[in-house]
Amino acid sequence: MAQQTRVRSLDDPDVFVESPATIYDAVPPYPPRTEREAEFYHLRDGEMLINLGPQHPSTHGVLRVVLKIDGERVVDLDPVIGYLHRGVEKICENGTWHHAISNCDPLEYVASMFSEAMPVLACEKLLDLQVPRRAEYIRVLAWELNRIASHALFMGWLSLDLGGLTPILYGFIERDEIVEMLNALTGQRVLFNYLRIGGVNGDLNHDFMSRLGDWMSHAAEQVENQTKLINENEIFVGRTRGLGVVDRATALRMCATGPVLRATGIPYDIRRAHPYSVYNELEFDVPTREEGDSYARYLVHVDEIKQSIHIIDQVLHQMPDGTVMAKIPRWIRPRPGRAWVSIESPRGQYGAYVMSDGSDHPFRMRIRDPSFFNLSLVGHLMPGNLIADTMAIMASLDPVMGGIDK
Amino acid sequence: MEMRRRSDDDQPNEARERVARAREADELTPSASARTEDPVQMASDQPSAQPGALKLAADRAVVEPIVVPNMVWTSANPIAYGGGSTPPAITHLRELEEEDKSDNGRWGRFDIIPTKSDYVLDLIRLNSLWPLLSGLACCAIEMMSAATSKNDMDRFGMFPFRASPRQADVLIAAGTLTTKMAGPFLRLWEQMPEPKWSVAMGDCTTSGGRYKRSYSTVEGIDRIMPVDVYVPGCPPRPEGLIYGMMKLQQLIRERRGQWAERAVGPTVPQGI
Ligand code: SF4
Repeated sequence: MAQQTRVRSLDDPDVFVESPATIYDAVPPYPPRTEREAEFYHLRDGEMLINLGPQHPSTHGVLRVVLKIDGERVVDLDPVIGYLHRGVEKICENGTWHHAISNCDPLEYVASMFSEAMPVLACEKLLDLQVPRRAEYIRVLAWELNRIASHALFMGWLSLDLGGLTPILYGFIERDEIVEMLNALTGQRVLFNYLRIGGVNGDLNHDFMSRLGDWMSHAAEQVENQTKLINENEIFVGRTRGLGVVDRATALRMCATGPVLRATGIPYDIRRAHPYSVYNELEFDVPTREEGDSYARYLVHVDEIKQSIHIIDQVLHQMPDGTVMAKIPRWIRPRPGRAWVSIESPRGQYGAYVMSDGSDHPFRMRIRDPSFFNLSLVGHLMPGNLIADTMAIMASLDPVMGGIDK
Repeated sequence: MEMRRRSDDDQPNEARERVARAREADELTPSASARTEDPVQMASDQPSAQPGALKLAADRAVVEPIVVPNMVWTSANPIAYGGGSTPPAITHLRELEEEDKSDNGRWGRFDIIPTKSDYVLDLIRLNSLWPLLSGLACCAIEMMSAATSKNDMDRFGMFPFRASPRQADVLIAAGTLTTKMAGPFLRLWEQMPEPKWSVAMGDCTTSGGRYKRSYSTVEGIDRIMPVDVYVPGCPPRPEGLIYGMMKLQQLIRERRGQWAERAVGPTVPQGI
């Protein structure tokens, strides 16, 4: 990827633009570096390469996929990532632990309450900190609300990529209602920056609670309405059922987690398997499906929304009194050591492996993003399908490029 | 002034007479033909005894208002266009230019609209800005939120998000621009047909924002392409984006007909 070319700008022929040549051509300008590359870029009769992305409405960001097609069938594909590499892990090393919270926010930008939890939970683990129970409950409340917002968007996006424009409007109604609620709580709509080491930033307030009450009164109904629209839609079912089937062995081997794994029938949920926060005090099911296709993944998302509403209901009933921040010094220096934390994000296991050298900033922070592992399934799912179905498969894996490229 | 005089009922006929008189005067003037024969000889070069030097004044006086009678269109509601039966007082383009030019939709008061086509077309363009659907990162979520149910951008004439740069007017740069994406993104901008505008949404695209000190991001898209409106915020609220787009509409309205003169094309510093 090191080779760069200079091309003339179209607007001003005197200006040269420096950019990787690979963007203009599906074929890279350098000779193949691996056997796999040599095989991929060698075209047999009737095959051709096309670029999907990096700007494409259904790649959910800036993913680029080089498709090798034979007629309408995809023969092979080569995803190219890194178009959104912002160097988050490196930036986190240069700031203090507090800075890391807001720097991790944009990783999973559809549900950033989860990615910002990474440095928080890791630092608390290294500090052996006891977080006040009220703060834990508020965290769970915020997480579950954010999960619903993310899933509502997923349902809209999936049908948007299949060509149905209406469900995204419903999805955004739900999502906007929730993020406005979280805005009242945190002051931000997308990158909340709400969790703090040792608690959360600010107690529940009246504005938030009244909005939450409003929303809870019609949440279940709204989900019903939205699912009624697409659940049994003939076109939707016809285009997703039996498409992109992942079997259990492949899903496990490729480290898929979250709804992708649960759609194959494995009830693996970090909230249940390795309970963190106060999830072991709450009652909820882990919805699974057996088929492992796009439609099953969609149904798992729908069921998870219902479970999340159930969890929020319990949290509101069991919410304890007390403070929302532990007493910690402002200057945080965790003990030297390593910590692994992981939580269940809407896309699967969100984890971080963090090293501390005893100073006030993380020495190294490695983030495990579920979208990356889920997306790597496309190599197994796409070949043999029609080009139009690649969208349905990719959307059902629900990748977020912010986390994949970091 | 004679030209401002309210003429009575058969104004078009009078106008034709004036045009005819002007033509006569033109033909009778010897200076016109003399000057075309020898363009090097200016009036000031001639000694004052030369007859051609003084005739220039007559030449200038010939420029009478050109009145094109309105034979194509009559207003359905004459009251709305300055009182119906009374013909327009202004008959000259120059006077029309001094008139009120606010967009009150009453240009039809006059028989002609003296304008460049872009002057009118920009009015149309600014009321149907087609943005390019190209989200880069987190800001794209808010961009989509601005386009959907709750904050319906459609109301302000900026809806159909086009997926192809060839059909788009506005590039909303929503998200972090990394060095790897800079080339394709510039390519998108160059593929858009003129006239085109760009809006930098979010801190990342206005100045680098929270990734200013990252090794892999472009600190503001104005390093690689011209920007018309900056919408700061991380991310800006959808209302913020809509406000920015309305500012863009205002900008187009104020500069309408002049977009061709603005600087286009990237100015890429070395090394990005
Ligand atoms: S400005 Fe903020 S919200 Fe927008 S892309 Fe940059 S980090 Fe994301």
